[in-house]
Amino acid sequence: MKKQKTILVILLLILGQFIAGCQQGQQRQEATDLLSDSFRDGDLRLNDAMIKEMISSVPNPLEITSILQRTGVVYSQDLLNPAGNVNDYNTNFQRALNLGVYGTDLIYMNIYERTVATLRYLSNLRELASDLRVEQFFDYTTLNRLSESSKNVDSVLYITNTGFDKMSRYLIDQERSHIAILISAGTWIESLYIATHAPTTAANKETINKRIGEQKKVLDNLLLLMNSYGQNSNFDELIKDLMTVKKEFDNVTITYQYAEPSIIESDGTLVVVDNSRSIVDISDETVKNIASAIAVVRNKVIE
Amino acid sequence: MSEEILKALMQLFAIIARQDVGLSHGERGFVESFLKQQLSESSVNEYLRLFDGYIEQEVKTREEKPGSEVRLTSVKDSVKILGIAKKINRTLTQKQKVVVLVRLFELMNSDQNFTSQRMAIIDTTAEVFNINKQEYRAISSFVIRNKSEELDIPEILISQSQPNKNTNSRFIHSPQLNGRIIILRVKSVDLYFFKYSGHTELFINGLPLKANRIYNFANGSVVKQPMGKSIFYTDIAAKFISDSAESNVYFKVENVSHTFTNGCKGLENINLQEISGKMVAIMGSSGSGKTTLLNVLSGVENPTQGKVIINDINLHSDKEKIKGIIGYIPQDDLLIEELTVYENLFYSTMLVFRDHTSMQIAEKVDKMLTSLGLLYIKELKVGNPMNKKISGGQRKRLNIGLELIREPSVLFIDEPTSGLSSRDSENVIELLRELTLRGKLIFVVIHQPSSEIFKMFDKVVILDEGGVQIYYGNPVEAAIYFKKIDNQINSDVGECPKCGNVNPEAIFNIIESQIVDEYGKSTGFRKVQPLEWARYFKNFHRPESPIEKKVDLPGTLMKQGWWRQVNIYFRRDISSKLANKQYILLNLLEAPILAFLLAYIIRYIDDPASGVYIFRENANIMPYLFMCTIVALFTGLIVSAEEIYKDRKILKRESFLNLSRSSYLLSKVSILFMISAMQAILFIWVGNSILGIKGMYFEYWLIFFSVAALANIMGLNISSAFNSAVTIYIIIPFLIIPQMVLTGALFSFDRINYNLGGGREKVPVIAEIMPSRWAFEALAVNQFMNNDYEKHFYELRKMESAFNFKNVYYIPELKGYVETYKSKFLAGDTNPLAEADITLLQNEISKENNSFYAEHHQIFFDDVSRISPENFNMETAEEIFLYFAQLENFYRESFNRVNGHIDRQISEMVSTPEMRKEYQQWFDKHYNSPLAAFAKNTFAPLPLVRLGNKLVQKIDPVYLDPSNQKLLGFRSHFMAPNKNLAGKLIPTFYFNIAIIWFFTVIAYFALYFDILKKMLLLFERKDGKMQTSINKNGKTTDTRLRFINSTENEKILLNTN
Repeated sequence: MKKQKTILVILLLILGQFIAGCQQGQQRQEATDLLSDSFRDGDLRLNDAMIKEMISSVPNPLEITSILQRTGVVYSQDLLNPAGNVNDYNTNFQRALNLGVYGTDLIYMNIYERTVATLRYLSNLRELASDLRVEQFFDYTTLNRLSESSKNVDSVLYITNTGFDKMSRYLIDQERSHIAILISAGTWIESLYIATHAPTTAANKETINKRIGEQKKVLDNLLLLMNSYGQNSNFDELIKDLMTVKKEFDNVTITYQYAEPSIIESDGTLVVVDNSRSIVDISDETVKNIASAIAVVRNKVIE
Repeated sequence: MSEEILKALMQLFAIIARQDVGLSHGERGFVESFLKQQLSESSVNEYLRLFDGYIEQEVKTREEKPGSEVRLTSVKDSVKILGIAKKINRTLTQKQKVVVLVRLFELMNSDQNFTSQRMAIIDTTAEVFNINKQEYRAISSFVIRNKSEELDIPEILISQSQPNKNTNSRFIHSPQLNGRIIILRVKSVDLYFFKYSGHTELFINGLPLKANRIYNFANGSVVKQPMGKSIFYTDIAAKFISDSAESNVYFKVENVSHTFTNGCKGLENINLQEISGKMVAIMGSSGSGKTTLLNVLSGVENPTQGKVIINDINLHSDKEKIKGIIGYIPQDDLLIEELTVYENLFYSTMLVFRDHTSMQIAEKVDKMLTSLGLLYIKELKVGNPMNKKISGGQRKRLNIGLELIREPSVLFIDEPTSGLSSRDSENVIELLRELTLRGKLIFVVIHQPSSEIFKMFDKVVILDEGGVQIYYGNPVEAAIYFKKIDNQINSDVGECPKCGNVNPEAIFNIIESQIVDEYGKSTGFRKVQPLEWARYFKNFHRPESPIEKKVDLPGTLMKQGWWRQVNIYFRRDISSKLANKQYILLNLLEAPILAFLLAYIIRYIDDPASGVYIFRENANIMPYLFMCTIVALFTGLIVSAEEIYKDRKILKRESFLNLSRSSYLLSKVSILFMISAMQAILFIWVGNSILGIKGMYFEYWLIFFSVAALANIMGLNISSAFNSAVTIYIIIPFLIIPQMVLTGALFSFDRINYNLGGGREKVPVIAEIMPSRWAFEALAVNQFMNNDYEKHFYELRKMESAFNFKNVYYIPELKGYVETYKSKFLAGDTNPLAEADITLLQNEISKENNSFYAEHHQIFFDDVSRISPENFNMETAEEIFLYFAQLENFYRESFNRVNGHIDRQISEMVSTPEMRKEYQQWFDKHYNSPLAAFAKNTFAPLPLVRLGNKLVQKIDPVYLDPSNQKLLGFRSHFMAPNKNLAGKLIPTFYFNIAIIWFFTVIAYFALYFDILKKMLLLFERKDGKMQTSINKNGKTTDTRLRFINSTENEKILLNTN
């Protein structure tokens, strides 16, 4: 009797397994059904070429961070998005934004030749890229190898940077421009955050503030891009947050002075020099306000 | 003698003694000496007081009635006797009652006082005891009479020096005996009584014998006289039984020769002829082929020439007809050391007798133990020779008992006395001697027997080097024969005239005596070569007239039904395992302790600062799965590796019992499976709990158990095939290490030797035959796919992966070939694309046409035949390009759709902070990222590779169904979620388990037919042939000894030491 009972229990368990297997079959059905849906007409969007152009106008992180390094701003670990946060990003929205954030962090670290710490950021980058299914743009093995030595910083920076560029273009081609936009937004937010929060000195303060002020135009472009995805609640919220930053940027004035371009000789060749200048007028007060506003946005992004 | 008998006797003695003249001095003396014989000093007095008390009572009653002194037995006495006799009837067995009666007679005989009253009392008692009239008369004449002519009845045996004149009584001639020995047999209760009248000092069982006292001549008793032959129980029993037992076995050995596989002669032209009821010794120096002869005679080995015939049946060619008639007791122990004496015999008996209930068998076993003299130790565990619980003699007797209980007609025993004391040896041989009385024919290989033992044999076969038969006949005559040939003085006397000893050693000294040189040193050459001895013997020996009588064989063996055999084997094995506490404890603790160690060690926290264990981050789950497989293999193998090996001797014996191998194996297998199932439960329970693997206990258990079960049977295979424990443990690494290497966990199949199939599309063939690979894959795929988290997204992600792969890698790669064509063509290249590349395009496009998604996208390249080296042109190239563009479009759209769908699902799940936290916990508890990376082959150097004219996907194997649609194309890439069988997709988990069980079934058949062992034997035979060829070509000639018998050689070594 006992034996029979045990056999019965085992049979039931096996049967249960098969039922579970059937459920998977249902799931498969559900998945394939997804394919048979007629394709939904896209919302009215900006065209791809336009998006590409606008995204490329967003300065890449290298520009801002290298200025920091050049002007002698000290490296600060605290400014980075902690590497462990990567596990909290579950949706494409979060992943794309933070891919940008981590990308910026990585470049920032590399500029300052913090090569050991970069490894974790590199793997985060890779993880997020893989979750977003754009892993092909990061040759992880090469990057990993290069990161082992500070001599290769330039190569790392180059690969990362071009990787980001290619990825953007690819995503737009793949009709996933919202991801591309979010990645750009992520890099920009993190760049601005670092720039506004890096400890400055009297000597470099002006240069950096000027750079910060120049971001006013970039933000306008970003908002424009994001507005085309206005129906999405996530986007809406991010736009709303960025609007607070924009409000601070309203206190910045940029005036453009046109001057005739001239041709000068440099190293035996002739070079055209644009003599026009943008004059950025930005007060310390505004910088401080921008800093606190961007911090709010950024901390929300990385949370 | 029990208390009841003694008390009853005292009472009866008292009544008889006070009859007529009253208690005489002689009578009291008898009672006293009788008691002394039975009891210790203190008890004697106690019973004597009891006796005196009874007498006094009697005397008192008489004194009270002085007038009633009549010569008749008083009514009161009669009533009293009736009362006592009836009381005795209730408590004593018939045997004991006979003993009581004999003692009563003896009492009266002590002073020859046979009055009618006394006789009347005995008559009454016998009547109440229901003693057969004839036997009663026999008893009375046995006690009262002493002269041989008065004792001429069939119940009596007389042994004396004078010739026998009687016609009815039996007779043994003892030339040196003074007076006579009289023996009475009470047939109904199978008792023998013994008395002696004369002056020779005799010993019964080593104790001095008193003249005219009646002794119970028990089983195995022996009466020794200083000169002349001893009288054994068996001799006497033989005299009484001989006319009732008809010989029913005729055993004939005709010209048997045996040559070993290495070409050495083992036996040379042996001739024997025996009938049942005989005990034959096989003797010879070490390496002379005694055991070989025994093996050939018993049918274990086939002779190369000649035949062995039992009642007209050829033993070797008609084995089936004779099964069960032959019993074989090898030299080694056949006992299961964990079982008690009783259990050993009980299970063995159960296997033999079908129609008996357990009760009947228990009775039989008790009887057997009694006759073996082992009843008092029946509850003792047998133990092993190293860890002794019972003595060597007891072990030997029990071994013999195992075989005796089924009563085979012909019994072969190899060295039953080796390692026993002389007393134990004699006991054993006496036991065998007794068996011949019951019509058994017994062959015994014996080495250096004592004189006593030597004389007990009816015949002796002496072999010399090379298995040459140099003597066959009476043992005592053997001594005379060899002495005569050796020209020794006194050669006509076989035994020592004073002590009666025959020295078998002397015979061998003669046989092997060596030529001595002038300095008295032996030269190493024998005086008489074996073949010379054989010639002598041929001249001397006149073969007995051949027996041509045809008799039916005694009833063949009863065999158990198959199920009952399984049941008995199962019970026997279980009780022997349960009796071994250490074994049980170790087996139960092994798995959980290993699991604890393993899991605790690899319970890795990715972020040590947090101190919180997160399952998702534990990088050791994949190695854990790998270890599960290996532990399952290991524990499974270890638990079974010695199982059959341990039983091999018992199996050898039981092979004579006509038992089914499958029932033995099935019982083994089911016990091992039970142990493994238990170990699996414990291991998985402990290991998975510590590592926080949620759910799926059953799936883990099933795989662990399946692997362990297979390992069990593999272990049984090796334990059945190899002949030493060391070999078995050397074999285990051979079984485990390749399995470790080829699991796919330690070494990627992409990176193993290309010649072995590494780096191909499918798992290398060499790995396909490794159960560990199937088990590990099943575990890993199951853990990845069916964990509570991934389960929800798996199908979606599978599609997402497929679309992504096509979109990102596959189509662009294919497009590359067309682009190459186009650009080269435009540049005017005459051969823009290699044929192989075109074939590749053709292959891949037709594959795409038939793909699972084709029915959804309805994008087909209609005429694939156009993509061939002959037909390929610019137009086709353009068309392909267009086709690819459409595909890309579809895959891009589909990817976005599925990707968006998943993202929306997750976004919903994390829409509030609480939900996000919940989601995160769910994710952390069930999903394991490093394992996922392994399953998705994230670290593949290339996402796809070209193999021949095919493109093979290397990333996301766990999301890729195998494409082969052939009937038996079940082989697939590693970590495939499903397997193809007859065009149907079967989940890897079930499929792999089925494969493991398929292996198990194959292994079971291999075990059943003992294929491994047969292969090994084949191999050894080849080896042997090589040896002989060396012998033929080389110089060495006498290598025979080296090959014949290794145990014998060991013995030689021991002896020289």
